[in-house]
Amino acid sequence: MANQKEQDLILRCQRGDQGAFKEIFDQYHKKVYRIAYGMVRQREDAIDIVQEVFIKLFRSIRNFKGKSKFYTYLYRMTMNTAIDHARKMRKPSQLKSEEDWAQFPDTTEKEPDRLLFQKELEERINWAMAKLPGEQRIALILREVEGLSYKEMAETMGCSIGTIMSRLHYGRKRVQQLLGDEFGIKVEE
Amino acid sequence: MKNPCLSQKLLERYFDQEASPEERTLVENHLIGCSSCQRRLKSMETLREAIKKPIEKALEKETFPWVWERIEREIQKEYKASWWESFRSWLALTPMLKRKVWVPVLATLIILVGVTSQIFFKKIPSYSEISVVKYVESYDNDVMVYQLEKQKVTVIWVFEKPEMEISDS
Repeated sequence: MANQKEQDLILRCQRGDQGAFKEIFDQYHKKVYRIAYGMVRQREDAIDIVQEVFIKLFRSIRNFKGKSKFYTYLYRMTMNTAIDHARKMRKPSQLKSEEDWAQFPDTTEKEPDRLLFQKELEERINWAMAKLPGEQRIALILREVEGLSYKEMAETMGCSIGTIMSRLHYGRKRVQQLLGDEFGIKVEE
Repeated sequence: MKNPCLSQKLLERYFDQEASPEERTLVENHLIGCSSCQRRLKSMETLREAIKKPIEKALEKETFPWVWERIEREIQKEYKASWWESFRSWLALTPMLKRKVWVPVLATLIILVGVTSQIFFKKIPSYSEISVVKYVESYDNDVMVYQLEKQKVTVIWVFEKPEMEISDS
């Protein structure tokens, strides 16, 4: 159940108060952006998702009955919008193959510059995350970035805690495999 | 004899702060003497940082007021609530009305209005409704004619003159 202040804010939104809706935006836009960016890894697309989520929220907030926590309601909306968006933009030709990455120079040995290493790591993380199925990717983002508990994740994703643990396990394992040892992210069986 | 390494699932639960107190103690005791499990834990931390950092960096660079302006424009374009929609949403949201107490409240109000209206709207005939149409004086009698406007009733009043006066005259 949302706290009293949040409940009042939601009630005002449900009555069409745009000032209250702006307060909701101020409170949650960064969380929505983090999930969106984590899913699509591109600034413009993430902004589009943020916009789409808040417009959807404005249209549907009257249907929010307060049975679940508001943030799980919003996260679910963000997650579904981001998965749809990622599905639309995901074209196999845009993703590098594992062979492409194998040819990528090993910067840890030849380039001592830490910034370059970070940049390559970021690119490679983006690539590895894009390779994951949507459910595993969102599970990793909700846990590693948003720090949600298994229970909160299960509520948001509409599945059991066991499924959440399984998605996290296979998601981590796959990313570790794709990144390889040179980034200090060792594959463990 | 060295303890066997921890299962990946237990280590993940510990890393995600979802392990029970007993499991936490078990893992912490094991980690002291197992460099392999320490590496696995470190690897998960590195992965977490690697996923999180670019997102936080992107967020720092972003400014959001213009995003809100775009959202606000979209909202205003489509949001023109009619008075009926506003009324319906008010009905749906007012906690008192949600509790269905409005049926007896409404019934009581109707009865009250019915009773009080009897007092306020009681018909009091006024003189304006009665008008004298004619007053005729004659030798024998005087005649006055009244007419009630709304009820369409005509009253004819005959005043008899005292006989004495007649005899006098």
